[in-house]
Amino acid sequence: MPSAMSGLDLMSRAPRIAPAELQTLGQPQEISGVQPSGDSFAGMLGKMVSDVNAKQHAAGDSVAALQAGQNVPLHQAVIAMEEANVSFQLMVEVRNKLLESYQEIMRMQI
Amino acid sequence: MIQILSGIQNTAAALDAERTRIDVISQNIANANNTHDLNGKPYQRQVVVFESALKQAMNGEPASQLPVLQVARIERDSRPGQSIYSPGNPDADDHDMVVMPNISISEEMADMINASRSFEANLAVVKNARQMAMQTLAMGRH
Repeated sequence: MPSAMSGLDLMSRAPRIAPAELQTLGQPQEISGVQPSGDSFAGMLGKMVSDVNAKQHAAGDSVAALQAGQNVPLHQAVIAMEEANVSFQLMVEVRNKLLESYQEIMRMQI
Repeated sequence: MIQILSGIQNTAAALDAERTRIDVISQNIANANNTHDLNGKPYQRQVVVFESALKQAMNGEPASQLPVLQVARIERDSRPGQSIYSPGNPDADDHDMVVMPNISISEEMADMINASRSFEANLAVVKNARQMAMQTLAMGRH
C-alpha cells in the first residue's frame, strides 16, 4: 500500500493547477495533469485516476485516525484500504491494456 | 465515485450494528453483579434494537437504493431481577435480601455467540466481494 501511494504522490506532484484554483478543491488532491472534464477518453482516464487517488487518501485518513485513537471502527479502516487496493488494481489493469494497444500499433508495418 | 466492491455499504453498516450489539452485551456481562446503578437501583439489562434506514446521498454519491441496517435504539429489559439472601450487603433491604441485576450470563454468552457469528458472516461477505473484484480484474489479463 505505501509504495502504491507514493507512486500516486509522484504523479500528482507533476503539473499543477494554479494555487488559487487548488484551494477550491477539497482535501483529496485532484490529479491535475489531465483535466477530468469532457467525455473524451483522456478525461475519463483522468477522472478515474483522481478517484483512485481520493480513495487512497480516504484509506490513509481512516488508518491515521484509527492510529491516533479516534473512534473509528477497525473494519471501516480495513474496508477503505481494500477499496483503495482494488481500485488501484483496476487502474493498473487499464494502464496495462492501454500500453499494450499502443505497442501493438507501434509494431504495425507501414 | 466508482463502486468497486459490490454491496459494501450494506455490509459496512451491518458490521457497525453488530459491533454495537457486542459492545452492549459486554456491558451487560460487566455489570452482571452491579446492584447499584447510577439511579441507585440494580443494573438493568440493555437490548439493542435494529432497524432499516435509507442511506443519505453523500458528497455527490447517489443514495443507495437498498436500505441499510442501523441501530434504532438501546432499550432496557424490564424483567425483574432475582432477589438473593445476602446479609451484610450494604444494598440489602430490611430482610437481608438484595435484588440482583436481571442478567443471566449464559443468556448473554448465547447472544454474544450470535452477534460474533453475524459479524463473521459479514466479514465473509467483504472477503467474497474483494475476491470477486480481483477475479474479474484477472479476466482482463492473459
